[in-house]
Amino acid sequence: MNLDRDAIKAAVRAKVIELAKNLGMDASDIGDDDLIPATGYVDSAAILELVVWYEDAYQMPLKQEEINIDNLGSINSMTEFVIKRKGG
Amino acid sequence: MAVALHAPRVNNNDDIVQVIAFRVGVGDFVKQGDIVLDVETDKAIVEVAAENDGYVLKLMCEVDDKVAVGSILLWQGETADEPVPETPVAAAVAAGGNVRPTAKARALLKELGLDAGAVPASSERLSLADVEAYIAAHGIQRRDHTPAVTVSAQESLPDVPGQLVDLNAEERGMLITVSWHRDHAAATYLEVEYDPKDWEAHAAAYAAENKLMLSPLLPLLAYRYVQLVKASPRLNATVVNGKRFQYQPVNLGFTVQAGETLYLTVVRDADTLDTKPFIENLGEVQRHALQRKLSREETSGATIAFSSMARWNVSRHIPILPPYCSLMIAHAAPKGSGRAVLGASYDHRVLSGFDVARLLMELAKPPV
Repeated sequence: MNLDRDAIKAAVRAKVIELAKNLGMDASDIGDDDLIPATGYVDSAAILELVVWYEDAYQMPLKQEEINIDNLGSINSMTEFVIKRKGG
Repeated sequence: MAVALHAPRVNNNDDIVQVIAFRVGVGDFVKQGDIVLDVETDKAIVEVAAENDGYVLKLMCEVDDKVAVGSILLWQGETADEPVPETPVAAAVAAGGNVRPTAKARALLKELGLDAGAVPASSERLSLADVEAYIAAHGIQRRDHTPAVTVSAQESLPDVPGQLVDLNAEERGMLITVSWHRDHAAATYLEVEYDPKDWEAHAAAYAAENKLMLSPLLPLLAYRYVQLVKASPRLNATVVNGKRFQYQPVNLGFTVQAGETLYLTVVRDADTLDTKPFIENLGEVQRHALQRKLSREETSGATIAFSSMARWNVSRHIPILPPYCSLMIAHAAPKGSGRAVLGASYDHRVLSGFDVARLLMELAKPPV
């Protein structure tokens, strides 16, 4: 597991792009601070897949109440949340 | 009442985890989410968090023990001196998984079509608890409360070259569902169209207020459905042996597509939950489905059900009724059409078209 900030960002971005591609969307221009649910690139089921991937990739089980916009709303917030939780 | 913390599944290929450190001891009070121990597989070290607040009553294994996924790691209680149920100690998994099963374990293995060698044993004999832990960890359902499948064994083979292939657990489950629908339910379908704008606005307001990542539209629809069924218990029933069987709890079945597998996940006692805990519980079982970590409680006992294919942009789908379930709502919302559809498969032995049409028309409007 690589907890380097840039590596986390790249991994999250790649996963969002992959999930969007499965839905026939090109999310390659998504910004680091874009609100992922508001971009229209991924639907709720894909966001759920993103969350499950995130938990597994960073070995970080989430409580249901942690799955919110503040913690996971954008590529940047997902990145910072891992670093914070892992004590980085 | 004492509650158990079970060994987690760290990845799909490892049925065993090794305990490498305890961070708590007997008598310690831990809060939900506190890390209580670390486990290791060939690929990773994982922190295991408490799922509940409570005192640690008993540790069921020791550091360096290898334990089966799903076995009990420790017990917690509301007080420090609660009794702990008698259960097998989790430790000392037999290598290779090729130990002799007990009679009850053998019967369950046979029922599920499982090979004893695939199931890790926690002692010298493969026990019923071992098999139950294994099927819970793999999301495999038991079929003990479902009717016999009336698939004829005398069907002639097609006159085209090919071979017979055994069904996996999920495929057998679908066969049982379809067979119950065909042979027991008087399955009928009706639908209503509605303007989705009010529901979308209601869901958007709820999402903004609660800062949700996932759209709450389907969970809110499902919750409204539960509330309407709670108010009309007649909708929450089935027929058994020529009599109406009125369910007490409303257990909501909710379909989740996980890769190639379609699960009917279940939120039990949904009628007792407020909106927020209902949405959280539904979110939890959906995550468990994607993680292939559904427990038996999360995959059985649905008394009503809900399915949406809005994601796939279909204009209509007619669900198959799961065994002993008389009502399954089908939601569709074709993109760009400005309309949405609420349909229902229902068992006409239990419900009339009027019952279902009235429900659908109510469900088409968000709560005031």
